[in-house]
Amino acid sequence: MNETKIRVEHLNFYYGNKIALSDISMVIPDRQITALIGPSGCGKSTFLRCLNRMNDTIPRTRVEGKVLLDGVDIYAPGTDVVELRRRVGMVFQRPNPFPQSVYDNVAFGPRVLGLHRQQNLDEIVERSLRDVGLWDEVKDNLRQNALNLSLGQQQRLCLARVIAVQPEVILMDEPCSALDPIATLEIEELMRSLRQNYCIVIVTHNMQQAARVSEWTGFFWLGELVEFGPTEVIFTHPAHQLTEDYITGRAG
Amino acid sequence: MPRETFDRELQRLQDELLILGSMVESAIAESVDALKRRDFEASQRIIAQDRDINTRRFAIESDVLVLIATQQPMASDLRTLAAILDLASELERMGDYAKGIARINLMIGDQPLMKPLIDIPRMAERACSMLHRALDAFARRDVALARAIPAEDDEVDALYNQVYRELVTYILSDPKNIDQANYLLWAAHNLERAADRVTNICERVIFTVTGELGELNREGNGLEDLPG
Repeated sequence: MNETKIRVEHLNFYYGNKIALSDISMVIPDRQITALIGPSGCGKSTFLRCLNRMNDTIPRTRVEGKVLLDGVDIYAPGTDVVELRRRVGMVFQRPNPFPQSVYDNVAFGPRVLGLHRQQNLDEIVERSLRDVGLWDEVKDNLRQNALNLSLGQQQRLCLARVIAVQPEVILMDEPCSALDPIATLEIEELMRSLRQNYCIVIVTHNMQQAARVSEWTGFFWLGELVEFGPTEVIFTHPAHQLTEDYITGRAG
Repeated sequence: MPRETFDRELQRLQDELLILGSMVESAIAESVDALKRRDFEASQRIIAQDRDINTRRFAIESDVLVLIATQQPMASDLRTLAAILDLASELERMGDYAKGIARINLMIGDQPLMKPLIDIPRMAERACSMLHRALDAFARRDVALARAIPAEDDEVDALYNQVYRELVTYILSDPKNIDQANYLLWAAHNLERAADRVTNICERVIFTVTGELGELNREGNGLEDLPG
């Protein structure tokens, strides 16, 4: 396992009185891809959103336990949540570009955070678009509306928007579920090249996708982390019967 | 059950494999029986039936690949399918050994046997019994049985060494015996190899259940590389 990027210790999460995550402990390595799998409602997306405090925006929710990013608890009082979300970026299920130009979408984060005062904005935009393999497709018309791009391109644009603010961790919540198979494989290839520089955590319903892209896999069931281990072990001989039943399609 | 179609197909393929196994088991037993009785017709029948064995092996292989491509099996399902592929190929090679023994009977031709066959039929009996129980272990996912069977290979090896020494004495006593002794040694060698392949099958049974890949009882008798 690579160096630890995120260490989760005894995490509980509640929606009102209902417990959604129960005693989750996990070590997420840097510069590798960790996949979270499990049936709908098992808590995997809730867990993902705990990693950059996206759940804070949902009323009547509560967190117990620790999420240590480079050893520092992100739930400690005084945490700068905006800075946290810059360091831990997120890509969602459906591509959600702003109804603005391609350029402005990528430049949005750097402008808000003031990065453009230290670095050339054009360079940030170009580098980010190159990193997601979109530059050659859009360089001749950076002013076109982002909503004119195909869904696959839009999703890569959203990834470029995350990368533009130079994060350390990229969270992906079902990033390919709205995409066709070719666009899906493009995003997967992209993930494999991006992991050289980022810690990537992906939630997916598609077990073949988890098996294809990740080094580590965690299986969630009813708000608990049943099993966490190397992907090739989880998909060839998991330790727990429940994991076996889920990945062979006999439970869930 | 959410995967009824898949489960049905997986079961069917296991059944096909067991049918293939019983065909191979019969072919080995009958090939030695035909040699012992000098029954050329039976030997010719065994040679012809080997084509069925080969056809069935390819059908199983093709169906396994289709199932992998269309159903994306994981974990124990994937290991079972990998094992079926491997076992089908082991069985097909064992069928070739039976065919080889049938050919030997034809090649010896009208010459009477230099001696009544005793140890070679014993080897066949041991090998068939090992094969039968190994396939039973696969069908029942019986790891303890799969771990126990390979030790019996030592008995087959001991019988083989005995046959070898005996045939050498026949050759030394009369060089006219060389051809037939050579044929019989070849038959014995095929049986020795067949028993070795049962060990491979047992290893796959353990893999199917536990996911562990490893070798069982690999000391052998040092004669594995003889041409056969």
